[in-house]
Amino acid sequence: MSDFPLVVENLSFKYRTRPELAVENVSFELRQGELLLIAGSSGCGKTTLARCINGLIPRSYRGERKGKVLLQGRDVAEMEIAEMSQVVGTLLQDPERQIVASNVFNEIAFGPENLGLPREEIASRVEQVMKRLNIEYLHERETFNLSGGEKQKVALAGMLAMSPSILLLDEPLASLDPASAHEALAVFRSLADEGKTVILVEHRVEDAISITPDRLLYMEDGRIKYLGPIKNLPNEIDYTQVKLPAPWVVQRVKALDNAPVVSPRPEERERSEPLVVFEDVDFRYDEEYPFILQNVNLKIYPGDLIAVLGPNGAGKSTLVKHAIGLLKPTKGRVLVEGRDTRTMSVAQIARVLGYVFQSPTHMLYAPTVHEELEFGPKNLGFEPELISKSIVESLATVNMKEFEEYPPLALSFGQQKRTTIAAVLAMRSKILVMDEPTAGQDFANYTRFMEALCGTYDGGSSLLSANFDATLFITHDIDLAVTYANRVLLFGDKHVVADGAPEDVLKDVDFLTKYRVRPTSLLQLNLDLLPKTGRFLPAESLAGFA
Amino acid sequence: MNDKSTWEFGTRQVVYGAIGAALYGVFSWATNIFPLPAAGNVTFRPAVAVLIFFASAYGPWVGLLAGFIGNTLGDALSGWGFYWHWSLGNGLMGLVAGLVMASIKDFRARGDIMKAVGYGVAGIAVGMLFASLTEMFMGGIDLNTALFGYFTPAFLGNTVVTVILLPVLMIAFAAVASRRGR
Amino acid sequence: MLVTWKYRLRDTFIQRLDPRTRLIFLFSIIFALTIPEIWDLRIILPIFAISLTLYFMARIEWKDVKRGWAFILVFVIFIVGINGVLSGRGGPSSVTNIESPILFYVPVLDWFGWMVPITVSKLWFALNQIIRMLTMAILAIPIPYTMDPNIYGTAFKRMGASDNVSFTMDLAFRFLPTFARDFTITVDAQRARGYEMESLKGGLVERIRRLSPLIIPVVMQSTVTGEEVIDAMDLRAFGTSKRTWIKTLTYAPRDYFMLGLGAAIFISCCVLKWGFGIGGFFVPDFFTNLFV
Ligand SMILES: Nc1ncnc2c1ncn2[C@@H]1O[C@H](COP(=O)(O)OP(=O)(O)OP(=O)(O)O)[C@@H](O)[C@H]1O
Ligand SMILES: Nc1ncnc2c1ncn2[C@@H]1O[C@H](COP(=O)(O)OP(=O)(O)OP(=O)(O)O)[C@@H](O)[C@H]1O
Ligand SMILES: [Mg+2]
Ligand SMILES: [Mg+2]
Repeated sequence: MSDFPLVVENLSFKYRTRPELAVENVSFELRQGELLLIAGSSGCGKTTLARCINGLIPRSYRGERKGKVLLQGRDVAEMEIAEMSQVVGTLLQDPERQIVASNVFNEIAFGPENLGLPREEIASRVEQVMKRLNIEYLHERETFNLSGGEKQKVALAGMLAMSPSILLLDEPLASLDPASAHEALAVFRSLADEGKTVILVEHRVEDAISITPDRLLYMEDGRIKYLGPIKNLPNEIDYTQVKLPAPWVVQRVKALDNAPVVSPRPEERERSEPLVVFEDVDFRYDEEYPFILQNVNLKIYPGDLIAVLGPNGAGKSTLVKHAIGLLKPTKGRVLVEGRDTRTMSVAQIARVLGYVFQSPTHMLYAPTVHEELEFGPKNLGFEPELISKSIVESLATVNMKEFEEYPPLALSFGQQKRTTIAAVLAMRSKILVMDEPTAGQDFANYTRFMEALCGTYDGGSSLLSANFDATLFITHDIDLAVTYANRVLLFGDKHVVADGAPEDVLKDVDFLTKYRVRPTSLLQLNLDLLPKTGRFLPAESLAGFA
Repeated sequence: MNDKSTWEFGTRQVVYGAIGAALYGVFSWATNIFPLPAAGNVTFRPAVAVLIFFASAYGPWVGLLAGFIGNTLGDALSGWGFYWHWSLGNGLMGLVAGLVMASIKDFRARGDIMKAVGYGVAGIAVGMLFASLTEMFMGGIDLNTALFGYFTPAFLGNTVVTVILLPVLMIAFAAVASRRGR
Repeated sequence: MLVTWKYRLRDTFIQRLDPRTRLIFLFSIIFALTIPEIWDLRIILPIFAISLTLYFMARIEWKDVKRGWAFILVFVIFIVGINGVLSGRGGPSSVTNIESPILFYVPVLDWFGWMVPITVSKLWFALNQIIRMLTMAILAIPIPYTMDPNIYGTAFKRMGASDNVSFTMDLAFRFLPTFARDFTITVDAQRARGYEMESLKGGLVERIRRLSPLIIPVVMQSTVTGEEVIDAMDLRAFGTSKRTWIKTLTYAPRDYFMLGLGAAIFISCCVLKWGFGIGGFFVPDFFTNLFV
């Protein structure tokens, strides 16, 4: 038996349906107890590599595989699934889609049940694992009602109950708020310390390095670009591709001697009549349920670019659904352009306020992008000429012209996201509301996306300011608020607990932590440099001041 | 695993059977909330198109399970109780419709869509006929009532829905499948 | 619009029963009435009383079931009405008793002179039919409110279904709330794009077609979900060997009692009908006398 629990040798793989190699000539080996971080932009082959390691390739996915993956000296391709599942445990990206049982106990017991173990053995394994992860209190709960963080832990428990020696975690943090993400990371670290070999695929590198991985494997186009210790990272990895801690970026920008770009400050507009007003709004979903909103007061003015922060389940989505009239306040009023939403239909409000839901998969349905964009304007009864004009313009704005006759369901995630924005743009509303616009996208993609929306160009006006009077987005990523917003709302305890310029709202770190908002290195650096800069800036721009 | 062996019954069929059932249940129940116009006593159950779609995409076992379990779940959610013969009828509907799976090559192709609609309508006929005829023993109705009170409206309603919605679903599915093949 | 099973733990005799017992009992009653074709109210009424007792013993709240009840009553009466009008040309329930006094005529297609006679015998039959249908229906109504959704898979397994079929059951329950929520979100997302359910315009075809923005996103998302679930299950060795089902079920004396009762009812019905010829349809004199 070899000394290494995992050896990958000259591995290449090509999917049957694709012309190009998804993974090309990858070799590495892992020691027992090592924690390897795998990073790289979307589509670079991380998941494919993971599938080669856990044996789904070549079993479930067809294609051409070359090279070897040895688990404890034996090739995965030759092992039985039952055997292999006890060596490698895999945690997939979205726990919501990976949990297969309705209640927590059954979920954790699922793997051992499939192995046909005796009942007592299964019960004792489940108990041990729950104890190990401190989730005994979840024992009899329904999996559907768990919070994102709890779901993640239950999925992890289900995997640990198979007692694997290698853990393979494919973007496990994607759906978690920052505080829960750090709890999860701490658990991964402690598992490695107990002697498990851990492979963590994650493009939130900044978060992941807080648990000091032993090495990092950085991939580009299916190949290994860098494999080695973390400390050389700033020099090896392009900071525009992967999110690195702000001080590293600054260091790198300085070393490269790139002239830092400082975009002009977006001009303040006169505060005129508010577009949307919340007046003492209370709301609960049902009389049997507790209040979600209590005493919410809020005005949205033309020129606002608002970031809404707050923990999972605080009621952020509930809040913005009031603005579009999908929900009506239990008490109090919401006014859109001076009219009570109770007296308006959602379709009427949609002329003023365009709402982009978090996941594009919840709204894309049409056979072509063109028809998809037609949907809103047609519903609103626009004239045909106006419809075609709107479509052409909005497609140009999101840079999707060449996809007009393409089926939206066949596009990549990032393109789908832009299609949904275009669909709302075509409705020519005055306010744009986006629920977690960057969730599920990698760093390079989402900076490109946010730059396209919020970045100011030559004329000094961004896509948003040119098309919309005001914008509001909900996010868990505090750096987005730091970089792009001119106003930040912190939502917690059923109402708005802080409202103001980013520099004012985000300066009190203790206050933020109280609402489960984790300060980031970018925020920290910005706060340190604030006396010199006078406002928050993206990491690259800070290089000129540090 | 793209071997289209019609009668295979593994993890894939379990998963899509369950997913089809859950969707069929949810949509059957939801269309009670958004009622469509009923012409005579023909009620439209758009969910049927979803069941036929699952059957043609994933085969007869999936159709059977999704139809049987899904109908049971839909009735249970609506609080109507359990009518085993209607659940079985829905299962047969899915089973027959699923026989088309192996011969569909391209979900966008006109010919393949027509084939799927054809099997779907055959499935509706078989399934609804079974349920209507068993209703004679269950409810004590006579053949006329079974044919004209149950079968005809159910057959017509389901067929109309399938003819309209199944092609749309298949075309959408072709786009999704092109992004992620196995 | 959140789908949650209204299942709640209640301390009742019904809920302490083994789930298998409840399913088997349900089928005993259904088959007792349908296989030997029992139409005699003297036999149906006692069974109806048992069903009704069990229904009340389940102690489900009226507000939970009132919509279901409304549907069942409307449906049963509607179909019984249709049957009364159409029936008379043979079939297992032929009640064309020519001698039976005619009460009144229903003008079905008046212009064509098709007047359907409603006789005493038809009326009595309709009454039987309603009670007979309800006897079976009310046994099943409480099940979703009183049976733990987590136990169906195990129950089916213990009744002899295969691992795969039993697990399909469990997995369907698992995904039901997920897709219901996806559907709600989709409805909201399309409404935010100006879609109005209420103002569905156009003819029938157009109206059905207009449902696709609500249905397609959910169905397509579910097909993608499926691939991930397959991977997740394969990686945890589903289907590699004979599965242990961790939950155990054991019959208690009360279960044997209920199973015995079910069997007794079934056997008695068969014996009465086939052995003694009792249990077929007839119109009792007192009923005829009410009208004549
Ligand atoms: N099932 C599949 N069939 C065909 N091609 C696939 C399949 N899965 C992935 N690919 C392709 O293989 C390449 C690598 O994809 P992979 O999912 O491994 O990337 P990734 O690094 O995990 O990306 P992400 O960060 O978005 O998860 C991509 O071009 C992708 O489109
Ligand atoms: N349809 C509903 N019925 C009942 N309760 C609901 C419903 N939708 C949301 N809730 C509850 O309302 C609370 C607030 O939910 P909301 O989605 O507004 O939170 P959020 O701040 O957007 O969270 P996240 O960051 O996870 O998106 C949660 O406790 C949630 O469980
Ligand atoms: Mg991936
Ligand atoms: Mg939200």
